[in-house]
Amino acid sequence: MPKCLVCYKWTLDEQDIKIKPEDLSLDSSRAKGKISDFDRNAVEEAALIVEKEGGAVEVLSYGTAAVKLSLKDVLSRGAEKAHWIADPSAENADAAVTANVLAAAIRKLGPYDLILCGEGSSDLFNQQTAPRLAALLGLPCLSFVQKLTVEGSTVTATRKLEDCQETATVSGPVVISVLSEINKPRIPTLKQVLGAAKKPNEEIKIADLGLKPEDLQPKALRQSVKGFVMQRRNVVYKESSAAENVAKLTASLASEGLC
Amino acid sequence: MAGIFIFSEDSALAKQLLTPALELKASLAQPITAITLSESDAEELAKLGADKVVVLTGGTWAEGFAEAIYSQISKAEGSILLVGGTLRGKHVAAYVAAKLNAGMTTDAKALKIANGKLLATRVLYAGLAVCEEEVALPAVATIRARTFLAPAPAPAAGVVETQSAEADSRITISEVIPTGDKGVDITAATKLVAVGRGFRRKEDLKLAEDLAGVLKAELACTRGIAEDEHWLPIERYIGISGQTVKPELYVAAGLSGQVQHMVGCRESKVIVAINTDERAPIFEAADYGIVGDMYEVLPLLTAALRK
Ligand SMILES: Cc1cc2nc3c(=O)[nH]c(=O)nc-3n(C[C@H](O)[C@H](O)[C@H](O)COP(=O)(O)OP(=O)(O)OC[C@H]3O[C@@H](n4cnc5c(N)ncnc54)[C@H](O)[C@@H]3O)c2cc1C
Repeated sequence: MPKCLVCYKWTLDEQDIKIKPEDLSLDSSRAKGKISDFDRNAVEEAALIVEKEGGAVEVLSYGTAAVKLSLKDVLSRGAEKAHWIADPSAENADAAVTANVLAAAIRKLGPYDLILCGEGSSDLFNQQTAPRLAALLGLPCLSFVQKLTVEGSTVTATRKLEDCQETATVSGPVVISVLSEINKPRIPTLKQVLGAAKKPNEEIKIADLGLKPEDLQPKALRQSVKGFVMQRRNVVYKESSAAENVAKLTASLASEGLC
Repeated sequence: MAGIFIFSEDSALAKQLLTPALELKASLAQPITAITLSESDAEELAKLGADKVVVLTGGTWAEGFAEAIYSQISKAEGSILLVGGTLRGKHVAAYVAAKLNAGMTTDAKALKIANGKLLATRVLYAGLAVCEEEVALPAVATIRARTFLAPAPAPAAGVVETQSAEADSRITISEVIPTGDKGVDITAATKLVAVGRGFRRKEDLKLAEDLAGVLKAELACTRGIAEDEHWLPIERYIGISGQTVKPELYVAAGLSGQVQHMVGCRESKVIVAINTDERAPIFEAADYGIVGDMYEVLPLLTAALRK
């Protein structure tokens, strides 16, 4: 019966982030938070495994104070207990800091049989957390997993890579990163949402993790963040007659030397 | 701290990595070591500017060499590791970065040294924004295929040595099934017709195939068409987690134009959109567009171009 831990990130919904035309800076004042897309697949996968094999699902997140907003949502998705670390250092944390903090928390909370993450977060998409955690915790890592089976302590994963599908087997404990196609995350029912309020959540203070100051010092710092704007012609044909639109488009393509 | 290291299990990408490595060598005045798993790549990497090539033997699973690659770099106190940004490469790179307690930039587009740090250009929010990431040395960066061209041969070839390494034995690979249509490299196509979830059935892709036929274009798609519907092989999906393409013409039919997709095709010369929804973001990203039902528009367009 596997004891699972899912690491997830509370991110801004990029669909609500606007680019300010004056200086191309990002306006995220209207952006709401969300559990990073592929992390929802990781939570779902752990919940599915435990429904079948027994065991337990806990979740862990490191973020700024906003991470608390995620608790109800994540607990309504099948997790039994949430651990969270809210610290201002998360604002500028790079993948190294994130992995240092998560690994320290896992050493304190664990051991776990399966540690799951999404392939990459929807904001930075660094795709680093799972292999970094494996390196820090001295565990094997199965990344980019499209299908997962757990039988006793044997974990079998189908990984999907650019040019092949690869089946890999390992005896747990193991760190896993999942692809979005592994499952369809549930839409929590009203009962699950109400139930989430009764589930335990526990804060971990970063000071209690025994980290050195340099472990919290980002090695990669983001600078000069600018919205990307495309220079396009934006000619849109929208007559009611499709034939007319097609004729105009064909003329445009001809003028570009494309047909 | 000395030494610029490169690693890719992909032969073509390994050679491409030498181009940014040689640029970094010019600023750092440090030698380049190429780590490879392929005896046959070694010679070529040495010819193209690697001062030293280390061939690691003892396994075939690239990820299993992460620890061995780490010890090569830590022994030499290397300052930079560039890794080919395949999924296997990203796994290896992140593992090594953690062991080095180093920063790592994912999918770097341009690299230089500034103030004794590695400065890399990359995207955020799946392409909504671009930024420069400043990574303290030792630094790790992954670079995707075709971000750089392979360099011309160097005046003198480097040395090649072979070392046996201990690969990760905890993981057993039982089966490898090659996927996709071999031989079709959509990143090399000069024209692409990309399809999205506006298509209701797999059979309907015929409409796009016909258009591609008259345009002499290849078919491409959004993530959902490849990953969820499995209507087209994953090599054909474009975007942050898929392929990056720069064709002369990119026709986007029945796809909404979300940033995660567009980041993979926004350097196309001309983008054409066909969508029923006038407010779909694809129109902002397009040079020419038709607001309309592609089930009607595509056959008309195919017929018009055939003439
Ligand atoms: C971390 C992350 C990474 C991702 N990476 C990628 C990636 O690499 N590549 C990628 O593609 N996506 C990626 N996605 C998904 C991406 O966000 C979008 O969901 C996806 O690109 C949308 O696919 P679509 O345009 O096919 O579908 P939809 O967004 O559903 O759009 C379908 C469009 O078809 C139009 N339509 C419907 N019927 C018709 C008709 N009859 N005629 C004309 N038009 C019609 C609709 O108006 C609509 O605009 C990623 C998402 C996340 C969170």
